[in-house]
Amino acid sequence: MATILLLLLGTFTTPEKIGTTPQSMLWLFPLAASIAVVYKATKVPKITLSFLKETVVLFGSIIIFIGVAALVLYTLAWVIIG
Amino acid sequence: MAQRLKDRQIMFMLSVGLLAWLMPGGGHLLLNKKKHALVILIAIVLTFLIGIYIGSIGVINPIEAKPWYVAQILNSPAVAILGHLSSTGAYPVYARPNEIGQIYTSIAGLLNLLCIVNAVYLAHLGRIQTTRN
Repeated sequence: MATILLLLLGTFTTPEKIGTTPQSMLWLFPLAASIAVVYKATKVPKITLSFLKETVVLFGSIIIFIGVAALVLYTLAWVIIG
Repeated sequence: MAQRLKDRQIMFMLSVGLLAWLMPGGGHLLLNKKKHALVILIAIVLTFLIGIYIGSIGVINPIEAKPWYVAQILNSPAVAILGHLSSTGAYPVYARPNEIGQIYTSIAGLLNLLCIVNAVYLAHLGRIQTTRN
């Protein structure tokens, strides 16, 4: 048990290997989910099924907006650089 | 009598703010919003843990990354212990893991700030209702 605990704590002392790749952008998904959950938790008066629906809608909105922003920036870069 | 009541209510708002900082969701727990407190606790702690899992505790650096540290300490005063450990330079972290780790831990802190403000505001609303009654 103590060994497992030490191994678990050890994972927090060495960084993961994440390269500068397009796949590293996928790390925005858990962060966007967390932002949506906490923001909605401060907004709704009661935690019911509607909380889940509103959170999913907000999460989707964040991802779509980031996608659109990325597309616009990519197009801009393509037009300028060629 | 009214002054004493006002003082007590201000003390309550301060306690809510302080508890919300000590433990994510603590302010909402004091306001008897248990489900909100649980959701906030899980979401913020998980975000913070993902951050230090990706970048290690080295992403909490009170010496070389002060602006990030200001946001990270908003998670809880316990972050200062991690900051003290990593300030020795024993946990170096660079490049993308450092960036992602700092972003995760700092955003978790800023989300907790949102929850602190929200809890204090809810306590203030409760105070107004008490005064009206």
